[in-house]
Order: sequence, then C-alpha cells, then structure tokens
Amino acid sequence: MADFIQLLMNGLALGSVYALAAIGFVIVYSATGVVNFAAGQFVMLGTFAGVATLVNGGWSLPAGYLGALAAMALFGALFYAVVYLPLRNSPAVTMIIGTVAIGITLQNAALLGFGSWPFRLVSPFEGMTVDIAGAVVPVHAIAVVVTTAVLIGLLWLLFNRTTLGIAMRAVAQDLVAARLMGLKVGALLAFTWILAAVLAGVAGLMLGPMWFADVNMGDPIALKAFAATIIGGFGSLPGAIAGGLFVGLTEVLGAAYVSSAYKDLIAFGAMILFLLLRPQGVFGERIQDRG
Amino acid sequence: MRSLLGVAALLIVGLALSLIVSEYTLRLLNLAVVAAVAVVGLNFAFGYAGLISLGHAAFVGLGAYVLAILTTKLGWSPWLAAVPAVIGTGLAAAVLGYPLLRLKGHYLALATLGLNVSFGIVATNWIDLTGGTNGIANIPGLTIAGHELSGERPFLWFGLAVLAALALIAAVIHRSRYGRAMMAVRDDETAAAMTGINVTRMRVAAFTLSALYAAVAGCLFATHIHFISPDDFSYAHSITHLAMLIVGGEATIAGAILGAVLLTFLPEWLRVLGDAYLAFFGLMTLAILIFLPTGIVGLATRWVRRPAPPQADAAIGAEEASRP
Repeated sequence: MADFIQLLMNGLALGSVYALAAIGFVIVYSATGVVNFAAGQFVMLGTFAGVATLVNGGWSLPAGYLGALAAMALFGALFYAVVYLPLRNSPAVTMIIGTVAIGITLQNAALLGFGSWPFRLVSPFEGMTVDIAGAVVPVHAIAVVVTTAVLIGLLWLLFNRTTLGIAMRAVAQDLVAARLMGLKVGALLAFTWILAAVLAGVAGLMLGPMWFADVNMGDPIALKAFAATIIGGFGSLPGAIAGGLFVGLTEVLGAAYVSSAYKDLIAFGAMILFLLLRPQGVFGERIQDRG
Repeated sequence: MRSLLGVAALLIVGLALSLIVSEYTLRLLNLAVVAAVAVVGLNFAFGYAGLISLGHAAFVGLGAYVLAILTTKLGWSPWLAAVPAVIGTGLAAAVLGYPLLRLKGHYLALATLGLNVSFGIVATNWIDLTGGTNGIANIPGLTIAGHELSGERPFLWFGLAVLAALALIAAVIHRSRYGRAMMAVRDDETAAAMTGINVTRMRVAAFTLSALYAAVAGCLFATHIHFISPDDFSYAHSITHLAMLIVGGEATIAGAILGAVLLTFLPEWLRVLGDAYLAFFGLMTLAILIFLPTGIVGLATRWVRRPAPPQADAAIGAEEASRP
C-alpha cells in the first residue's frame, strides 16, 4: 500500500506536468487551429530558462522563476511573430512541418547554448519528504500537483470571469465575428501564444527537478501531451487535464506493475483506441475534422 | 511521354553524377534515392488522397525488419525476402487502414504518429526478434548475376533503376482513373462519393500503395547499410518524409524526388556552419515553407510560365507540374 501511494503521487505529479503541457497545446489549438508540434520544445525551453537563471545565473529562487517565465513570455510573442503569422493561412500540414522545423531549431539552439551534458535543476523543496500512511512522498511532487491545481483554477477564472479571457474564447469560437465585434484579434492571438509559452515554462520548471534537464527532453513530452489531448478530447481543457493525469499515472503505475519496457505502449495504445472508438475523446469537440 | 522524359532525365543526371562525385557524396545520393522511393510512395497517400500520415517511417521499418529477420535468421536470399517484406507491409497497411482512415486531418496525423511511436517501442523491446536497440547487423547485400552490389556506385545504379521504375508506375497510376479518383476524394469527399467512387476503398488503396513503396525503400535501406535499428525508423523520419514532399512540391512525383534529394543534402551543405548546422536547417525549412508555399516544383512552374494570368496560382500550378 505504501508503495502504491508513493507511485500514485509520483504519477500525479508527472501527470500534472503533462496536463500543463497539454493545456498549452489545447489553448493554442482552440484559438488558432494550429497543431503545435513544437509544444514539447516549449517545455524543454522552460526547463532551460530555469537552468539559465538559477544554475548558470545563480539568481535567487523567486527571481530565477520570474526571470525564466518572463523569458518564456517573450519567446511566446516571438513564436507568434516569426512562425504563426507568416504561416497562418497555410494548409494544416505546412503548419505541422513548420512547427516541427522550428522545434529542430530550438532543440539544437539549446544544445549549442547549454551543451549535451544534462543539468540538475534543484527544487525549492530539495530533499524534503513527508510521510503519508507509511509512504515516503517527496514534497516536490505534492507542490507540483498543488501548483497545477492553482494554475487550472486561475485559468478557469481567466476564461470565465475576465473580459480578456472571454474575448480569447470569442476569437477561438469565430475569428471573423470576433473581429467584427471590434476585438483586437491580433493582440488576443499573440496573448494566446504567450500564455501557452508561460504554461509550458511552468511545466518545464517543475519537470526540471523530476528528470534531468536534457536538451532532448522535448520530444517525449510532446508525444505524451498529444496522447493526453487525444484521450481527454481535442480542444477541451478538462480533457487535457484528465488526459495528462491518465498518461502520467499509466506511465508510473504501468512501469511498476505491468512492464517498464512497454509502459509507454499503454498510453499510446489507449490513444489509438480512443482515436478509433471515440475520436472526440472523453470531453472533446464532436467534429472529427476541424480543418 | 513527359513522364518518360522526366525518368530519362533522372537516370542521365544520376548516372552522370555517379561517375564524377566522391565516395561520400555517392553514399548521400544513395540515401537520397532510398528516401525518394519512400517519398514518391507517400505522395500517393498525402499528395493524391490528402491523408496526413506521420507513420510512413513505420512502414519503411516494417519492410526493412521483415527482410532483415528473414535473411539473417532464416538465411533467405535478400531477393526472396523482399517479396514477403513488401507484400506483408502492404497487407499490414490495408488492415490498419480500414479502421484508421476514417479519421481525417490532424486526427489521422496524430493516430499515425502514435502508430509510428508504437512500432518503435515494439522494435526496441521485442529483443528476441529485432535485437532491440542493438538492431540487426550483417544483413546481406543484393547480388545481381553473381555480382554483389558492394560499393556505393553499383548500388546507386541499381537504386536509380528502382526509383525510375517506381516513379513511372506512380505516373501511370496518377493518370489512371484510380489516381483521379484519389484526387477527387482529396478535393471533395462528398462529390467523389456522389460520382460512385468508393471513398474508403480509395483511401485504403492510396495508403496501401504508399506502404508498398515504403517497404521497397526499407528493403533498399537494409541491403545498402547492412544494419538496421529502431532509431532508423523513428517518427522523426516520418516527419522528414512529409517535409521532403512539401518542400519539393506536394502532389508531384518530380517534387517528391527533388525534395528528398534537397533535404538529404541540405544538412550536409550546412555543415560549414559547424555545430549550428541543424539549428539553421530548421530555420531554412521554415523559410522554404513561408516563401515557397508550393515547393520547388511550384516555383519552377511559376518561373517557366511567368506571364501566366493571376488565377494560375498554387493549386493549378501544382496540377500542371504533376505530370513530370
């Protein structure tokens, strides 16, 4: 039982990170229709922004986290201007290849900047554990779950209780109508990318102490975020959360109880099954092809 | 006639290059030819039928693994092993295609991506059969009339012949009623169904054809490199195949070949930039997508027909150029 609780907490923590990555992916997809294949590299950049400020820069924890997230916000704006704007009217597949191409650039730019040697990003709760029913659970894992829950609450407030968030939803629903209503569509779309980049940044900062900070960490995260999105439902925020937690839990529990070699096959098998039997996922949009 | 001219041009340029370039460039040319076979195949699925497949490398891998296992474990000749490799891969694509191809757009993209990742996981972990991450080594090369195709130059000649034959077949299919039916399904599914085209069957046929070509590419790859491992068929390669098709000019056979050659050589040309070459490779691919939305073939068509009226834009340009 103690083992199970420990695995459960680690699975939830990992799942929270996947959920945040998936949320960033979904926000961008609902607003712009772009399937962002660089989403994993966004998280990798978040981790390395933390490495730059905390490890290489030696900043204090709050300053380091804020600096890293500010850098991610800037990066989101840059991505909007350099990748999204020029390709916004291209076919979906061109956008896919475009985001993959820029993902290759990001990964190799990080390799140039930081080298291939992995970094250790320390947690504010380094080495601290609590005892839950006999299970030793790292405080970091609990902090990750709590931070994610708080962020999801804030996102809910943003999208349901603020003018900005409601305007963003209007753009996601119907871009032309939103423009006719006098909304500044360009600025709102830019903000969407910034928000996605900052969320990925938080995910990266939280993932850093759980894995090693490695420039190749982007692709596995992207694949898990895709699986989470499909399972939860394309374009659905609750779906991204549920899917992320499912993928994180199956990865950790599957490795412990089923097979460590085939742990990832559970998530991807579930993803393919969902695609075949229920392509809209648990919470997702009904339309199969949003074009 | 134009396809014959195009294939003749391909053979002449390829033969001429094979006589003058260095051993290293020959090796790259061979990789480009293998990639071109796969990408000409992908053109059936994506170019003609409009199916975004991010799992093409899995079919290349399936073909390569079947050939490698039959030759190294059962001692078959590579020629004989290539038959079940290609047919088996085609069957696998048809069986997978029926349920999968009900999906469209990026749903299909992510489903095929999941397929490719799953293939990689199985190939990595079914160690008894696939050797795991160590891969399969000592795959025998092809022999023609008692002469082994050892060395890069003879292999390039053989590869070019295979590519030329497959490109010709693709051109014939493209112009047949089946090719037109695939494109009709791509352009308007409902209208295609109204004219009596079986939409599902056309999609599965395009997907299966693309997998058959992929398996041939896999067999060429295995007999050329003599070694395969799961990394050779990761989903990153599927994305590269799609990028080759789009950079070359989608829906055209000439574009598929040009894109395969360009994206095989581009990283090598950028090696002068030292460690930064892959970062620039990504930026250049993005630049091509932004500034040449119809690919190299689209650019060439526009350039040849410069005073064309403005409505002769992307789609029509690509159509014209699709008769190489």
